[in-house]
Amino acid sequence: MSEIDDLVARIQSQMDLDGETEHEILAEIRDHLEEVVAEARAQSLDEAQALARAAARFGVGEEVGRGLQAAHAGWGTADAVIAAGLPVVCALILRWLAFAPDGTAVGWPQLLSRPAFWIVALAALLIPLLKFERWRYGLAAWAIFWGLTVLFVVWPALRW
Amino acid sequence: MGVKEQMRKGTTSVILLNLLSELGRPMYGYEIIQELEARSQGSFRFKEGLIYPRLHELEQDGLLRSEWQGEEGTRRRKFYAITDKGRRTLAEELRDWHSFAQAVNRLLSLEATP
Repeated sequence: MSEIDDLVARIQSQMDLDGETEHEILAEIRDHLEEVVAEARAQSLDEAQALARAAARFGVGEEVGRGLQAAHAGWGTADAVIAAGLPVVCALILRWLAFAPDGTAVGWPQLLSRPAFWIVALAALLIPLLKFERWRYGLAAWAIFWGLTVLFVVWPALRW
Repeated sequence: MGVKEQMRKGTTSVILLNLLSELGRPMYGYEIIQELEARSQGSFRFKEGLIYPRLHELEQDGLLRSEWQGEEGTRRRKFYAITDKGRRTLAEELRDWHSFAQAVNRLLSLEATP
């Protein structure tokens, strides 16, 4: 199905998104084209005619690719603030939980036994996961959160 | 973006929201195209690929939600359904559309009057 591969490649050439998003988009497009081909084949068209029909009805790959890129590329200001700020805010809250105002620190066992610890840790995972609907973003934010948390709690020099 | 392109985008978006609202069930891209062609009795024809940027924009704006259906190894399809926000937006867009259409019709009638 070289026509389909060619059309999909033309669409992909206009996109610069993360791999998972691109993969989903192209799978959807390929599915559409294969369905049109199958329908044409059921109407007794040969393979070449069916592929030509699918490609002609679909339109210009580059134009579709540009449209899809534009639909996915823009992150709003609020999204950027959440993505960048949430792990930091959660780590700071956790640091506040770990160090009392009088300067005394609680150990990891005590910290892990506090419900607030788990609420903050879950929020750091679930908010980006639900907001961006990509497990990768959720895990990335969570990794940053844990990195900062370990840094804040383990490294005494960073204590306020 | 030119006025014509903006009108095409806006009109397509309202038509998509309206279709998904009226039918009240999730639909996939090719199914939507077939339904639109059938409803317009062939007068609403466009390049099929151009529907996908509109669907993805509507999804990004929270007006549609999507879900992949189908087992691995079989044909998997991405189904779109209208959200509550999409229904509210559709209601606003239809109100605007009717007002605009009425205004244009009044103007055209005035122009046609000798």
